[in-house]
Amino acid sequence: MFFHNFKYTFLTLFKNKMLIFWTFAFPILLGTFFQMAFQDIENSETLHTMNIAVVKTDTFENHNIWKETIQNLSEGSDSLFSTVYVNEEEARKQLEEEDIIGYLKLEDTPKIVVKKSGIYQTIFKSVIEEINAQELMLNQMIQNGDFAVDYSTIYQKIEEITKKEAPILNISRANLSYTMIEFYTLIAMAALYGGILGMTALNQVLANMSHNGKRVAVSPVSKGKLVLSSILASYIVQLIGIALLFIFTIFVLKVDYGTHLALVLLLALTGSLAGLSMGVTIASILKTSENVKTGIIISITMLGCFLSGMMGITMKYIIDKNIPILNKINSASMITDGFYALYYYDTLDRFYFNIVSLLLFATIMVVISIFCLRRQKYDSI
Amino acid sequence: MTVFKTFLKVLNKYKGTLILYTVILIFFAGFNIETNDTGTDFVSSKPDVLIVNQDEEVGITKSLVHYMEDHSNMVAIKDTEEARDDALFYRDVNYIIYIPAHYREDFLAGKNPVIVVKSTGDYQSSLAELLLTRYLKLAEFYQIIEVNEDALIEQIETTLSKEPVVEMTSHLDRNQLEKATRYFNFANYCILAGCIYVVCFILSSFKTKGVHKRTIISSTNYKTFNRKLLLSNALFAFVLWAFYIVLGIILVGDVLLSMHGIFYAINSFLFTLCALTIAFLIGNAIANKNAISGLVNVIALGSSFLCGAFVPMEWLPDKVLAIAHILPSYWYIKTNEYLKGLEVFDMDALKPIICNMGVIVVFIVIFIILTNFISHKKQIQK
Repeated sequence: MFFHNFKYTFLTLFKNKMLIFWTFAFPILLGTFFQMAFQDIENSETLHTMNIAVVKTDTFENHNIWKETIQNLSEGSDSLFSTVYVNEEEARKQLEEEDIIGYLKLEDTPKIVVKKSGIYQTIFKSVIEEINAQELMLNQMIQNGDFAVDYSTIYQKIEEITKKEAPILNISRANLSYTMIEFYTLIAMAALYGGILGMTALNQVLANMSHNGKRVAVSPVSKGKLVLSSILASYIVQLIGIALLFIFTIFVLKVDYGTHLALVLLLALTGSLAGLSMGVTIASILKTSENVKTGIIISITMLGCFLSGMMGITMKYIIDKNIPILNKINSASMITDGFYALYYYDTLDRFYFNIVSLLLFATIMVVISIFCLRRQKYDSI
Repeated sequence: MTVFKTFLKVLNKYKGTLILYTVILIFFAGFNIETNDTGTDFVSSKPDVLIVNQDEEVGITKSLVHYMEDHSNMVAIKDTEEARDDALFYRDVNYIIYIPAHYREDFLAGKNPVIVVKSTGDYQSSLAELLLTRYLKLAEFYQIIEVNEDALIEQIETTLSKEPVVEMTSHLDRNQLEKATRYFNFANYCILAGCIYVVCFILSSFKTKGVHKRTIISSTNYKTFNRKLLLSNALFAFVLWAFYIVLGIILVGDVLLSMHGIFYAINSFLFTLCALTIAFLIGNAIANKNAISGLVNVIALGSSFLCGAFVPMEWLPDKVLAIAHILPSYWYIKTNEYLKGLEVFDMDALKPIICNMGVIVVFIVIFIILTNFISHKKQIQK
């Protein structure tokens, strides 16, 4: 009986088109949209070569430090500036047409003209300040001229300092791609949507939910076996969906889950279990229609995904920082955080904390379901 | 009146969905629209920086910390390495500077101590690095000629205080216009999803077998019935658009009462009409309510992701934008983006807007023709 029910629950679930759309196709579609929209975001946020203009003035031509520095900063394929040397009228025209972000006009004091405020304009201003500071300092030394060391040695030293890197050591981690969180929430959504499968399967053996359930209730078979086989079938269907999503995100969308493949699978299995147990609990404790139960599972899932960063990556961080307890009980956040821990951190403490939290969540849900389902009998229905 | 009353009854059933879309619009487009651009005067951007100072805050260390504080937004993060790493990953901070113990002592001894940093690698962190580099290099410069620490700090700070003159040519209030553009771009999703969802479900309710049969045998002429249904839906779309405009004025501000606002409103009105025709097309083609909810999500989310409603258009890859040309949302959002930089409203400047709106009108006509074609085909089949 166990395998008979398992087989037919499995087939019934697979033949439910809407169920398959929401649990299989929708996460894949959403992932495709994410990829299309987010693939260039991080690249757009890195510093690119800025188009600037320098107005040809006598002062500029006569100041080697300005000429040489701007020239140095404009050389090479990954240079900071791409500079054109034009008259002021042309520079203004190019600025209006937004071909350049700003232009420099050097007379008694440096003057920069920009169209609007912004990060590139600030960096442009900052570089001009730096060149100005170097020039000021040189002038100052020439004017003073009373230090013990000879001028040429100092000039050499200054040139050396200008050209060499500042004593800064960058120890940032390599995995800093925050858009990965979107795909992790997607896996969390798919895992929790699996609850709909569990709920649908369970409804088929509940006397108060379907005609099939009524027939099952009067049949001389162990209810425990039926419930267990239905839940197992929906778990297998759910895992097939998650596997497809993983294959799609890894091979098509090139999502990076870190290097621990076995742990990624463990998280997927645990996350799916948490989703399934949530669906089973909702199916057991609520005496309402299947549509309402589906609505509740979708609402809880989407709220959980929202809090774990699906609709705005920083949301998870904001919640973690200000109301951490909310994400500690949010299974979508546990799954997302588990993937994040695998991707970003070298240690596994945080990952295992999430695994244990998910198992605890699933256990609580299963215990509640057992209490609701055990010894359920109807005199009439 | 009977048709309209029934329409209102069905509409009432779906008010929750409309409220949900409105709440999303208020949350994402209303509160979540921080812009870097500010007002009509030049304002330098400031990166978000965290300084972990393991040295005593005196002398050159104090000066360095103050300089970074003046030119950056200092962020408060819990004092653990995990919290700092999280902050960096989620871009709460762009640049973390670790000033080592005995930094001042080592610097004054000419050891040129290394400062360890962590950065997000984006342009905000590049700006922070530029600020730090400038300070460190100046400090190294002046150390050659100045032995006294106080004089050295004074020299550095005097040089750093010299700023170039900055002239800004545009005097548009870009801050408000940026907000307005983001609001109307996001409204793309709410208008599209709201219109298609509600109109399709209403049409589907009127097409339910029993209801449809009762309508056919009633004394009401089917043409009158269809006209009333069409008018009711158009009225709903108009009210939805008017509501989002009022909401926009409340959330974005009085920039929507200017010439820019008028064009944002015309553009969104045309787009609402387009959404209505899409809804009619789907409503006529599909009767299955489950299929409708799936389709609404695919169309509304797809259009919004591909055309720049959620992610600014300038950040989308060229390939995606090339595909987006076939969607009405692209032309709607393109107009919004163009409007935020528009300074004068003469014929030359308005040409691109008229062109974009013309494309939306063409889409409206295509959807109406398709709807008529499908309903005609269905009637023949019946």
